[in-house]
Amino acid sequence: MNNGRNIVLQIAKKEVLEFVRDWRTILAIIIIPLLLFPVLFIAFPLLLQSEADELDSLAVNVSWQGDYNSELNDILNQSEINFVFEDIPSGIDNLSTPSTDLERVRNQDIDAILRLTNDSNQWEFAVLYLSTSESSNEARNRILDSINEWESQVVNGTLIKAGLDPNETLDPIKWDGDWEYADTATKGEQAGLALSLFIPLVIAIWTASSAIQPSIDMTAGERERGTLEALLSLPASRLQLLVGKWTAVAFITSIGVGLQIAGLLFAITYLASNSIIGVPEISVLAIMLMFTAVLIFAIMIVAFELALAMKAQSVKEAGTLLGPVVIMIIFPALFTQVINLDGIESFWFAIPLVNILLAMRELLLDRVITEHVIIWLISSIAYATLAALYAAKQFKREDLVASIS
Amino acid sequence: MDEPKPLLTISAVSKKFGDIEALSNVDVVINSGQVIGLVGGNGAGKTTLLRLISGVLEPTTGSLMFKEKKVSKSRERIGVVPESTGLYARLTAWENIRFHSRIYGIEDSVSWARTYHFAKRLDIKDELSRHTKGFSRGMRQKIALLRALAHGPDILLLDEPTAGLDVTSARTVRHLVGQLRDEGGTVIYSTHHLAEAEQVCDRIIIVHNGTIRADGHPDELIKSTMTTNLEEAYVELTKDKARPRSDAKEKEGRISKWWSKFLTGTTPKEVGEDE
Repeated sequence: MNNGRNIVLQIAKKEVLEFVRDWRTILAIIIIPLLLFPVLFIAFPLLLQSEADELDSLAVNVSWQGDYNSELNDILNQSEINFVFEDIPSGIDNLSTPSTDLERVRNQDIDAILRLTNDSNQWEFAVLYLSTSESSNEARNRILDSINEWESQVVNGTLIKAGLDPNETLDPIKWDGDWEYADTATKGEQAGLALSLFIPLVIAIWTASSAIQPSIDMTAGERERGTLEALLSLPASRLQLLVGKWTAVAFITSIGVGLQIAGLLFAITYLASNSIIGVPEISVLAIMLMFTAVLIFAIMIVAFELALAMKAQSVKEAGTLLGPVVIMIIFPALFTQVINLDGIESFWFAIPLVNILLAMRELLLDRVITEHVIIWLISSIAYATLAALYAAKQFKREDLVASIS
Repeated sequence: MDEPKPLLTISAVSKKFGDIEALSNVDVVINSGQVIGLVGGNGAGKTTLLRLISGVLEPTTGSLMFKEKKVSKSRERIGVVPESTGLYARLTAWENIRFHSRIYGIEDSVSWARTYHFAKRLDIKDELSRHTKGFSRGMRQKIALLRALAHGPDILLLDEPTAGLDVTSARTVRHLVGQLRDEGGTVIYSTHHLAEAEQVCDRIIIVHNGTIRADGHPDELIKSTMTTNLEEAYVELTKDKARPRSDAKEKEGRISKWWSKFLTGTTPKEVGEDE
């Protein structure tokens, strides 16, 4: 093997070996990225569903105060509500005033209070509840749902009595057929659109944030632990050291991003098997271009972070310098999400960071527009080269050694 | 008979860090089979000279030649043990040694044979498979020595190799250096302990305030200064006040400097300078 390449490879191997020997690293670069999307898209909705089911099966206790209505009672009886009938407290201005019932609801002696009065042709009601209690909210929702249904029955009855058709009267303009079939985009294209709204964001933020720790560890950390001088005394050029370290950070970061994408694909496959979303339809060319975009982005970010970390005198200072990098990524990334891709001006594809994010968005929609591809490819290679040159400059600094003591 | 060609020739070397002249006009010639002691106080310039010899630093002026090549082109012939030892805590002792050897382009089997040979002499062969994290200072120093020897260097640079070591470990290191000399090896040994230098070295170079004040066998130094022992000779040669360590003037990080100015209005260093 070429000696220069062997040196780079040995440095990279050593860095990776040293880095993965720390269990916290395994947690950060393997477990968390792998589980993030499945937890977010599968486990979290399942948890929400089980909580909702538990609430649905919960019997709530409600006090019905004031006038009785048999139609409403019939509807409410289908909703697992235990009623006690009481009089409305005297001296209240309106039905929403808790008055003497305040403490009963607050102490959760009762989940909610339904107050109902009939004034000639109109019914008035209020529901007293405690918004911070799940069971009280559930009781209120069940009462409101029942009242809505009862109100519909009342309105329909009135319309029929007046000789009118409730459907024609209340819904005179309506959609014909199934609105889902009216969308000419395929399920795969719709899935691509949905993913394009957050995948670029996730990849950008994750690449930037997961490269921070190894960048600091392999530069300022090495300096602080006193291992840098021995490393610099080896017959390896500073450029070989940089490339070796860059390879190690890029490898670790790609593992993290790769596992995160694997987790995402698993979650999408799971959701697709439940017909919740479709599998995105992306051409091989678009996938290859997307990988290229991510690779160039990683080259730029990792080189930039390594350079900043090398600039720092200590791990603490490196943390201070690199912390804002994630913020620097988040803002343009969020900004990019709202840019309209239809008829987008080409200059957007030359702006650093924004260009890669927009490229990923377009490619996830399977739009390969030659002009855009050329612009983002050339501009991002130029930015990555500048970042690499900046990193090389930092690695060649003499005070890198002079300040070791 | 021809004189042997020098192993290392340092000619008119000066080294500046910004405004600070760490070394000034240094001339030294080193032949094979010698143990040379670099003796001087803190901040004298010993470490800078070692870093120049190891090729980590480039001289501002002058030249350092290893045989007939520039030192920077002959780094594979030099073995270095920095003061900090520079062992990776999450790697085993052998992994540390193997990493360095591979960078030198040495086969694992060759470096293992050399490592094992020296590990037996230092009685640490059982420690080679252990992670270096829990190693004592003495053990770290010994492993760093093995690492520097594994590629079979022509010249070994030791920066304060016995600093912080217990008596037994320091003795072991000195003994190994003696053995290396007996086998024809060349060692440059930086220390600020005169007794140790006298015990281990054939030749002592006294460095003070970035200049070479004396260079010769301990007896020659005593004779030339008309003193009775090496300590008195050293005191005689370094009479002028020692300058502060060059890294005491080290630039504070720009961010921390700005931040401390922002918080306090002035930095502690500035206060110190006024005193």
